[in-house]
Amino acid sequence: MSNEEHPTPPAEQTEEAKADISSAAGRLAVKQRAGGMIVPVVTALFAFLIGGLVVLGTGHDPLSAYRDIFNGAGLNWVFHPTTDIANTAAYNLSQTLLQTTTLILCGLAVAFAFRCGMFNIGGQGQYFIGLYVANWLGYSFQGMARLPHVLIAVVGATLAGAAWAGIAGVLKATVGAHEVITTIMLNWIAIWVGEWLFGDGGPLQNAANKTVPISNDVAGSAQLPVFWGQQQLQGLHVGFFVAIAALVVFSLVLNRTTLGYEVRAVGFNPDAAAYGGISVRKNLVRAMAISGAFAGLAGALDMLGYLYHFGQSDIPATQVGFLGIAVALLGRNTAVGVGLASLLFGALLFGTTHGLQSGVSTIDPALASNLTYIIQGLVVLFVGADLLVLSIWGWRKKLRPKHREATA
Amino acid sequence: MSGIWTERLDNPVSKRLRDPASTGYVAIGLGVFAAFLAIPPIEARSIVWSILVGIVATLLGIWTATRGRRRLGYGAAVAGLIGMGLGILATRSGTGNLEAVFNAALIAQMFAFATPLVFGAIAGMFSERSGVVNIGLEGMMLMGAFWGVYGADVGGSWVVGLIVGAAAGGALALLYAYFAIHLRADQIVGGTAVNFLALGITGYFFFQLYHGNYVPTGVSTIPNVRIPFVADSHFLGPAIGNLSLMIWAGFGLVIVSYFVIFKTPIGLRIRACGEHPRAADTVGINVYAVRYGCVILSGILAALGGVYLSDGFGGGSFNDNMTEGRGFIALAAMIFGNWRPFGAFGAALLFGLSSAIALRLQVYSPSASTLFNVLPYVLTLIAVAGVIGRSVPPAADGRPYKKQ
Amino acid sequence: MAEELVLEMRGIRKEFPGVLANDRVDLDVRRGEVHALLGENGAGKSTLMNILYGLYRPDAGEILLHGKPVSFGSARDAIQAGIGMVHQHFMLIPVMTVAENIVLGVEPRDKLFLDERAAETRVRELSERFGLVVDPTALVSSITVGQEQRVEILKALFRGADILILDEPTAVLTPQEAHELFEIVRSLKADGKSIIFISHKLNEVLEIADRITVLRRGRKIETVPREGATEPSLARAMVGREVLLRVDKPPATPGDVLLSVRDLRVIDERGIPKVRGISFDVRANEIVGIAGVDGNGQSELIEAITGLRRIDGGTIEVAGQPIIPRSPREMLDAGVGHIPEDRQRRGLVLEFSIGENVALHDYAKPPDSKWGWLFPQRMIERARRLIKEFDVRGGGPETRAGGLSGGNQQKVVVAREVDRDPKVLIAAQPTRGLDVGAIEFLHRRLVAERDEGRAILLVSLELDEVLSLSDKVLVIYEGEIAGEHVGEFSEHQIGLEMLGVGKKTEAA
Repeated sequence: MSNEEHPTPPAEQTEEAKADISSAAGRLAVKQRAGGMIVPVVTALFAFLIGGLVVLGTGHDPLSAYRDIFNGAGLNWVFHPTTDIANTAAYNLSQTLLQTTTLILCGLAVAFAFRCGMFNIGGQGQYFIGLYVANWLGYSFQGMARLPHVLIAVVGATLAGAAWAGIAGVLKATVGAHEVITTIMLNWIAIWVGEWLFGDGGPLQNAANKTVPISNDVAGSAQLPVFWGQQQLQGLHVGFFVAIAALVVFSLVLNRTTLGYEVRAVGFNPDAAAYGGISVRKNLVRAMAISGAFAGLAGALDMLGYLYHFGQSDIPATQVGFLGIAVALLGRNTAVGVGLASLLFGALLFGTTHGLQSGVSTIDPALASNLTYIIQGLVVLFVGADLLVLSIWGWRKKLRPKHREATA
Repeated sequence: MSGIWTERLDNPVSKRLRDPASTGYVAIGLGVFAAFLAIPPIEARSIVWSILVGIVATLLGIWTATRGRRRLGYGAAVAGLIGMGLGILATRSGTGNLEAVFNAALIAQMFAFATPLVFGAIAGMFSERSGVVNIGLEGMMLMGAFWGVYGADVGGSWVVGLIVGAAAGGALALLYAYFAIHLRADQIVGGTAVNFLALGITGYFFFQLYHGNYVPTGVSTIPNVRIPFVADSHFLGPAIGNLSLMIWAGFGLVIVSYFVIFKTPIGLRIRACGEHPRAADTVGINVYAVRYGCVILSGILAALGGVYLSDGFGGGSFNDNMTEGRGFIALAAMIFGNWRPFGAFGAALLFGLSSAIALRLQVYSPSASTLFNVLPYVLTLIAVAGVIGRSVPPAADGRPYKKQ
Repeated sequence: MAEELVLEMRGIRKEFPGVLANDRVDLDVRRGEVHALLGENGAGKSTLMNILYGLYRPDAGEILLHGKPVSFGSARDAIQAGIGMVHQHFMLIPVMTVAENIVLGVEPRDKLFLDERAAETRVRELSERFGLVVDPTALVSSITVGQEQRVEILKALFRGADILILDEPTAVLTPQEAHELFEIVRSLKADGKSIIFISHKLNEVLEIADRITVLRRGRKIETVPREGATEPSLARAMVGREVLLRVDKPPATPGDVLLSVRDLRVIDERGIPKVRGISFDVRANEIVGIAGVDGNGQSELIEAITGLRRIDGGTIEVAGQPIIPRSPREMLDAGVGHIPEDRQRRGLVLEFSIGENVALHDYAKPPDSKWGWLFPQRMIERARRLIKEFDVRGGGPETRAGGLSGGNQQKVVVAREVDRDPKVLIAAQPTRGLDVGAIEFLHRRLVAERDEGRAILLVSLELDEVLSLSDKVLVIYEGEIAGEHVGEFSEHQIGLEMLGVGKKTEAA
């Protein structure tokens, strides 16, 4: 539909008009690619700086706090590498990597949708759905051989996550319901479903012990093997490699398949994509489903890898799906970026809870975990803004010479 | 002659009555009634009534759908079926249980649960009417909840609490406004960031200032308003005789905001900024200023809702992430209410009722309790999918404006 | 008859990057006068008026209002000085009522509240005074375009405008509504208001204007009173006598009919028929050009043929096969290539590389992909070949398309379309925004494609381009073919047809 809504001043296609071309999230993705590596690093540094100021403002020493977080995360392991899990740094690192595993997948869940121009805030809900299904499948089929049992549970959870996100995708493709609202609603529905599932009398509640609102344990045959550390002490499981593989798959699918081509085209310019014969609707649903699959997989790996069970009180405690948003944004929705950003936030998550307990700084872990939220919030805020600061001086230069529209 | 009849039937009222939409709404009402039948005060014990009414509702819904109002019609049919189902469920519970759950005090609880949502929904409405999506309501409400209690504690009075809480929410909103309006950052991203920030800031200072988990008891709380004669009456007493001040403030807020948005010049300008900022700009309205004002106001209002949550409803205490998603439910109420004050109010009451019932059912039936907890979200999904009329946000909602 | 000058614009100069929009333009307007500003697309009319309305600042020159120099920093200043403008694209809020739209920003108040009643009353008063019939309580979304225009006029009058600028007001009106508009203009004039009427339609201008100023390519050519002006004399002033850059092209030898359009009808979103029964053929080895002023239906025609817009009547045949395009894909598969009007919106995904863009239609087939797996290397190879063939500068196959200049972007689009070996090639505004070198290249390319046996349909707002490239020229005016020319073109005649000469606006 040729449709000029506002009179554009000649010789200068305004940013607003240009922005109307693609979706807001597509815009975001576009500007992000323009930034390169420097900008995310600067953003993160800036966020840490301000976080440090907050710490300072309340009378604690930010430097020692950050150092404790660093050590707590096991990042000091690089100075003295060892595979001996009894070594503190090694253990810490293994725990950090455990968090990183989940964050990678949750980050991919957000990143993939972004590449198609959509904002998937539903990672948390999709993650939960994956957890529930993995728990259920892991508990059922007792006595099955390990490989098939694990496969069934993982695949089932992944598909469940995909379906959950797919609901939002379908709503968007058919009636144009904004995915932000629908995914937020689905998050909360997933939370309540979990409360019911594991609560008193709930279908997935522990069969042996009906007094506590906790689920059954996943059967031994469904648990993922641990390769660094001891299973009883929450060692690092093979899911870590699955997460790394997911990064590779993400990149391959987007850049080397026709599906990825379509998803990217729709994300950048739905008009041109439609013109090229691509079905915009189909891709919206597909992208959301794939995103949900990543988050569902995260849930599966966590459940089968170290959680083994889940209770009502665990539900509000995890924010990992939301952290995925920060990870994706900081990582510019690319595989490498998401990988690095997950490591950062994984370190932050574990380092704050653990490192400060045993470190020299006087910050209480509860304070510090909130510090994580503050930093996370700042990162997301600055990511949202730095793109514009960048675009203002960067894009102005690019836009000017090209447009010489005829005047009326 | 047919002249008399056609003349009579041509007035706007009868036109409205003949419009299939009216039948659709009646059908929805009947669906609700099918459930309502089975609970006190009517407390019909035979499932026949619920089934009958439910069937009528469903049929009317289908009729509406065939008359062109498809979405409304199917929504009504669904309402009829759900109402019937709930009614049947209710008849199968013991009357003692039913009376324990569905009594006059439930109404008071409904208002109590609804009030933070009311404040939040009206807050969101102001922001979005001016064209700025405010996902950060949750965070602003949380700020109000914490800093309100802090203010009441340190300042010695709930009034101080309200002021401090409002200021905190407003400050966060100012930050958000700067990013969303001036820097034209993506508003969803900004709102999400604001929520994280609020979570972190309130948690951090909660721990820093109160070292353990509890705010010292005896903090001045928001008082209730006891209406002299009403409070003693049998039904109205427990229902509305002794409600918190903020609940009444909420009622007032809805009425005032209706007038402001629809009956004043500033309201007209706000709506213009949200529908067509370029048009507003060309007639000389300062779109930036209007948007800033509305976003900050939304932060203040959401925060006030939060203060009520901690210092009124919560009896002067706070815990981490106290809002628990109420900000999002408030957004849902706003959407469900189609960005109109009374609509949002109705939705907030509905959601509040749902939460109140869920709380009461906890003892009797955790599954049913969960059902009612989930209901607000499901209803919003349905609303956004356009089943109950079109959910029409302001046209320029969420699009940053750049002055030419 | 007051000869008092209400407005004088002297020596106005305004330049944009690469374009001198207004070159020392003078304009004066008397009280109670309808003064028409006439010119083709690109003549500078809208720029001049935007300066008057405070939306732009002139680089040089001055504006005098009632003899006093003024300077407007914004539209608000102009409004306060009594100047009102009705843009071609309305600034109305659909969900609000007529009265609300009119009073927005200058609302009558009753204490704290909006005095709706007063607003309604005042709007009705103005309505009746000037014959602008419209219901103040109606929602803008429910009124017709003609009524919307009246609301815009009322908006200006409500704010006390003495000078009213109407920018191409009849572009969106039906002939019936245009007639009503003229009545309104006459009554405004009788009230002592001055109207500046921007148009390119000769017949209308001669009907309504007292004096006419003609602009061409940024310059004022002449100002004449209506008595004594004729359509031919005005047309000559507008079109001018310039030497065309003719492309050196061998004569065409048209072959079979590859594109056949019969009685095509298209109605736009507002219910206005934009294409009203157009029929034509395009043969192999032939370039058919459609000349016309913007807004006469050519965009809708192209969109209908390429599957971007619904067809409301008529038939299309490609190489003898009838086809009703429901989507762009169908026309692509039928062998129709399309160089879209807006290369950045439709033609390219700016964030994709050249290679990826070139594959936009065919990525799902071998050799670009197989079983869903992409072979970027093949895409790159193809892109490399095309870059060389089309001399695309500014990058290689992996360069982001958005980083290329406009001309090179367009080359990529053309390359992609041509490489698919279409039977019919539709080029819509192919050289818009391009520099001379790119234009020359594209023109030569189009002729070359013609000689390859393709049927080419060219639509352009640049008359020169149409005339120099086409073997056959069709003139489109108000949705119909107003003239068909083969062989030696009489530019003069074509210009007249483009301006609707000989066609009166239909009476009620």
